[in-house]
Amino acid sequence: MMETDKLRKADIFSGGIIFLLGVWIVSQALKMPMKDSWGGVQNVWYVSPALFPLFVGAMISLLGALLIRKALKTVGLAGITAVITWLTSRELTAFLRTGAMMRFYTIVTLFASFVFIQIPRVDFFLSAVLFLLVFITTFYFDVASLLKKLLYFYLAGTLIMLLLFATGLMAAWTGILPFAADWLTLVFILTYAAYARRQVAGDAPLSRKFRLSLILAISAPFFIGSIFKFLLLVPMPTEGLVTIALDTLWYSIF
Amino acid sequence: MMIFDRIAAFFDIVHHLAMDPLNLLILFGSVLMGIIFGAMPGLTSTLGVALLTALTYGMDTSLAMICLLAIYVGGTYGGSYASILINIPGTAAAAATALDGYPLACRGEGGRAIGLTTTSSAIGTTISMLFVVSISPIISHFALQFTSFEFFLLAFFGILISGTLTSPDLVIKGWISGFLGLFLACVGRDQLQFYPRYTFGVPELDSGIEVVPVLIGAFGIPQIIQVLKDRFQIGETQKLQRIIPEIGTVVRNVPAIVRSALIGVGIGAVPGIGEDIAGWVSYGTAKNTSKHPETFGTGELKAVLSTETANNACVGGAMIPLLNLGIPGSPPAAMLLGALMLHGVTPGPMITFEHPTFILEVAAILLLASVAMWVAGMLLAKQVVKILRIPSQIFMPIIGVLCIIGSYSLGLNIFNLYLMLPVGIICYFLTMMGYPIAPLVIGVILGPMADENLRRALMVSQGSFMPIFQRPVSLILFIIIVWTICSQFDWYRRGKERLMARLRGRRRRPAPPESSRRQADDA
Repeated sequence: MMETDKLRKADIFSGGIIFLLGVWIVSQALKMPMKDSWGGVQNVWYVSPALFPLFVGAMISLLGALLIRKALKTVGLAGITAVITWLTSRELTAFLRTGAMMRFYTIVTLFASFVFIQIPRVDFFLSAVLFLLVFITTFYFDVASLLKKLLYFYLAGTLIMLLLFATGLMAAWTGILPFAADWLTLVFILTYAAYARRQVAGDAPLSRKFRLSLILAISAPFFIGSIFKFLLLVPMPTEGLVTIALDTLWYSIF
Repeated sequence: MMIFDRIAAFFDIVHHLAMDPLNLLILFGSVLMGIIFGAMPGLTSTLGVALLTALTYGMDTSLAMICLLAIYVGGTYGGSYASILINIPGTAAAAATALDGYPLACRGEGGRAIGLTTTSSAIGTTISMLFVVSISPIISHFALQFTSFEFFLLAFFGILISGTLTSPDLVIKGWISGFLGLFLACVGRDQLQFYPRYTFGVPELDSGIEVVPVLIGAFGIPQIIQVLKDRFQIGETQKLQRIIPEIGTVVRNVPAIVRSALIGVGIGAVPGIGEDIAGWVSYGTAKNTSKHPETFGTGELKAVLSTETANNACVGGAMIPLLNLGIPGSPPAAMLLGALMLHGVTPGPMITFEHPTFILEVAAILLLASVAMWVAGMLLAKQVVKILRIPSQIFMPIIGVLCIIGSYSLGLNIFNLYLMLPVGIICYFLTMMGYPIAPLVIGVILGPMADENLRRALMVSQGSFMPIFQRPVSLILFIIIVWTICSQFDWYRRGKERLMARLRGRRRRPAPPESSRRQADDA
């Protein structure tokens, strides 16, 4: 959590957003049937689907306004001016480039790409290996310059994948080579591992960390995924190259 | 006779559960997993329950409850390991334990402290179990008289009180958080008229927001971001000697144990308030009632005993409103509610009719979990402590994968992930700006109950709000809600102080002399 003074300044803006959200909830609720007919049934206000959202929206707006009032009482108008000055100054750029913010971008990028790009299109085991390999290496190395390099490398690879998916090229390739997306991800994993290995070559503690990261990134998805897939009988979000191979192996044994 | 029947049924269930080797295996495994989750700073028992919910999806209800309650009990206790050995609370529940636990470990009495926390946690859980068994029928009986107005006010009160007591900054933020949860609960087709609300034409939103993935996102993602962004490092671990059960210290402090257990049960029963508050309140009470309060903070065994008894007693306390009213008493209990709904069990006053032995079963599991926790704590503490050496940069990404596969597996829907991640990131920003997450979660869970009951109540009363003032329970709840809101404003406090000062002044004012009194009488 932030310090109290910073919090109050931020409250003016978070209160504003919350107030506007409340207004939006109310405006949407007003479009819902209040006294008119819905589905052939004549409505009365107290059974209207708008009743509860109206109450919730109004309360959110009221509380947002109260928060702004409280924050303004504490920091005054000077507080708003200070925040606006800060938002337009170079300090903001410097803040957005701090190590902590870089780590934040990395976490969000990794999660977003895993959830929105890889999971719906690539075999779960492969996408999880890629996610874990990048995630563990970038943070476990704990070197700011390495984090940046590895993140940019991963971003470049992900962008290429996204382009291939968006343009329909991947679908066309799948017609020629089955599981093309999975093969491409496998190539991505190997290239990333080679790149990361090269970055830490010559540094014994980092090399040791790389080896451990690699072992965990490969073993953890297989352990977790196998429990869900074969013990809890949960089909994976996308089943491709590895899942089919594991299926064949599992059902040939059991 | 009914009481004896109930006791007999309880022990019958305990015997039945304990005789199945699979139950015992799951029980010990889950308790151990809970201890590990509790011991690892950055992981919480709520997250443990959330992740395990996905794994229990395919199990029968009884086995799932063993799994989830055991991890809850173990997680609440496990937090004390990190508190005592590295002075960083493994969970918020064990924050107060660190004050005296760490000095004990520095003095070379870490084993003694862990032995004491193990025994007192087991006692706390057991005492709270007694309350679950004895109080539940009474609450259930009263709750059966509740109508829709009472349920609406109860849900509203739960969100308000949770927002009031869990907010780390301004109380308004706690309330905002609760109302944001209520808004999330509005998304989807409404239950009475099936009208789509805030769905933006997305068919996946028609059935509303899936509770468990949202909860996993709300608790898991902010935790991962926070730990990794702030480069959380675990410090030097104090050496752990032989673990001693400390039965002698426990026997000498029976009054403190009973008091702490009562505090734990009481705080646990208040909707949405977790074990951390129980720990702090119990610590404060133990210090205030101690003959040597100056020893607190320097390694006082009584302090460790009080906090650990209270936070584990909170587990049973949280079960009381959950089972009887359908209102979760703590964040992990909110997760349990989600899990119960997945298994087709709807907690509330009707539970005694729909599942007559369910409450006894929960109590029996709590008893078995406290025994399993004690055994695991005594035998495996030294091994569990080794886990504290694993860097967070390694286990947090793996927790991320668990959050994702867990959210997906509940409903086998990738859309759950599209919802979980934004909710998690928004919750992270809310946490950073001092908004508590527990009221939001309670809001998501209690939202449908509040919405349905408000409209149903108004339907019965033909749009009149008068029954709130005509029904005693409604009126009491209404007064408490108004008082909870008003007591947070300056004008209320100023008015109260002025009134108190006037009353005090009237009491202190000396009696007027006889002559002046006579003059006044004449006038």
